[in-house]
Amino acid sequence: MTQDSNDTGITAAALMNPNPKVLHPDDRIISAIELVMKHRYRRLPVVDDQHRFQGVFGVNCLLRLVLPKAVVMEDGLENIHFVRETLSDLRRRLKEVENEPIAICMHDEESRVSPDTPLLEALRMLYLTRASLPVVDPESGRLLGMISYFDVGEKILNAPL
Amino acid sequence: MAADTGTQLVIFGWDPIWYAGSLFILSYLLIMSERLNRAIVAMLGAGFMVFGGILTQQAAIEGIDFNTLGLLTGMMIIVAITRQSGIFEYLAIWSVKRVNADPWWILVALVLVTAVLSALLDNVTTVLLIVPVTLLITDALKITAYPYLFAEIFAANVGGTATLIGDPPNIMIGSAVGLGFNDFIFNLTPLVLLLLPVTLLPIYLIWGRRLHASTEDRERVMNYREADAITDPRLLKQSLLVLGLVIGGFIFSHAIGQQPASIALFGAALLLLLHNLPRSPSEQTREVTRVFTEVEWVTLFFFIGLFVLVHGMESTGLLDLAAHQILEMTRGDPAKTAISVLWVSAIASALVDNIPFVATMIPMLSSMEATLGGPEALMPVWWSLALGSCLGGNGSLVGASANLIIAGFAEQSGQPIRFMPFMLIAFPLMLLSILVSTLYIWMRYL
Repeated sequence: MTQDSNDTGITAAALMNPNPKVLHPDDRIISAIELVMKHRYRRLPVVDDQHRFQGVFGVNCLLRLVLPKAVVMEDGLENIHFVRETLSDLRRRLKEVENEPIAICMHDEESRVSPDTPLLEALRMLYLTRASLPVVDPESGRLLGMISYFDVGEKILNAPL
Repeated sequence: MAADTGTQLVIFGWDPIWYAGSLFILSYLLIMSERLNRAIVAMLGAGFMVFGGILTQQAAIEGIDFNTLGLLTGMMIIVAITRQSGIFEYLAIWSVKRVNADPWWILVALVLVTAVLSALLDNVTTVLLIVPVTLLITDALKITAYPYLFAEIFAANVGGTATLIGDPPNIMIGSAVGLGFNDFIFNLTPLVLLLLPVTLLPIYLIWGRRLHASTEDRERVMNYREADAITDPRLLKQSLLVLGLVIGGFIFSHAIGQQPASIALFGAALLLLLHNLPRSPSEQTREVTRVFTEVEWVTLFFFIGLFVLVHGMESTGLLDLAAHQILEMTRGDPAKTAISVLWVSAIASALVDNIPFVATMIPMLSSMEATLGGPEALMPVWWSLALGSCLGGNGSLVGASANLIIAGFAEQSGQPIRFMPFMLIAFPLMLLSILVSTLYIWMRYL
């Protein structure tokens, strides 16, 4: 697809990275965290054997696993000023679940776009999500790619004036 | 038959009694099915009472008990502001540290805190505040949360029984019959103080004696600094001052000649003023809006719709007929009527929402007054209704809103409370509390 300033038909498909790094629901939490930390990914898409989009796994999950459940649950504790814990306490909490599959912590992402979502709508979704955005085929449910701030930024900077 | 409340020109020429009765039963079934939000059902039902010609708009408005609504709203606002101070977390942690983080005594301490808070606040708010702290503590102690959550369900419902403001049925009964805060304290609180140990004993035998935690884990809980839970000391002082004034107002309501709703709403306004005084006008608007969003509008509109539904049914004379049937069964004997109301209310409240049940029972029992021998003779029946409808909520997981809130937390924490296993223990325990209540009613009033 040609991308020039007059091309008003540009869609999510033109913005996405079609070969993003993906995870599988059965991947262990510890290996997923190591991967995320090593490459400084904020979050990665999770797909099944048929490459169908299942959700996302990200650094936020790490926080969810090391915080007490009473804090991260819906209507959980908002005031934990009185709790004193060390980094070792947090590591211990992570160790208890590190060999579990990422499915237990995967976020069932509702923010997603289809490949033919128009440019501005895709950017609006990206802005609201504040992280990379999955592009999913609405019929097959397959992950087609991911749109990141960097992909979009690059394309905007390279666009002719 | 009170036909002056509406036009009674029922659509399709239906008999008003049949129309109102069918509408009420349909609404009740829909509320029980939980397929539709209960506020939607009650408001639609109220609409059909008016549009069906049972009530005029004026009559419908007259059926709404604004004393109940005002009391609920005022307390919701006070709690929404007070909770920001951290006082409830402080109380929970303080009580747990007083018992040296011993697992069984933590359960007892949290039961007492839950019961006291439920007596002074609504049960749902209480469990929303206490259960997350409970899960934090049981997580730190590496012990199952189930006995704690089970005990807190009982504590919330038993504690709520103790006062006028503890549970919506009491608010409704108090408002309809003209019973004050002190009446509930003198008549129901002594029984509640007895019921707490009665329900704790089986919990100890089933779970309590097997609760153990390591010294290291108990030390972790002992390291919690309860004082740090108080995030806003100024707000804490303001909240305690206003709560004290409101409770004092309830206690002396007869002397000052004010209804509970006026006292609670005035207290809410005073706390809003104190809390917002240092803020700019725009910040005040933002904060007042935030506090108002915490008011449980679903509950309030549910009450509004329900009051209209029941008033419509009452206006057709249907409730008088039902009351007459009950009196025939109990042969107009106050003792038999009181005990029957206690047990029927308890079993009904274990299975269905106690709010519509009590809303229906109030006008029905009021109409028995003359036959039973006047207002004094009816008093044991009112206490029986309050006890049955509040304590009955312990009988099943769907018996009270607080039970479902706790079950939701349990599910999220990975220790679900299932319907049948809960009921197998809770229902007999609820019956035990009703048996004790029967003896209390019998010995004290009959």
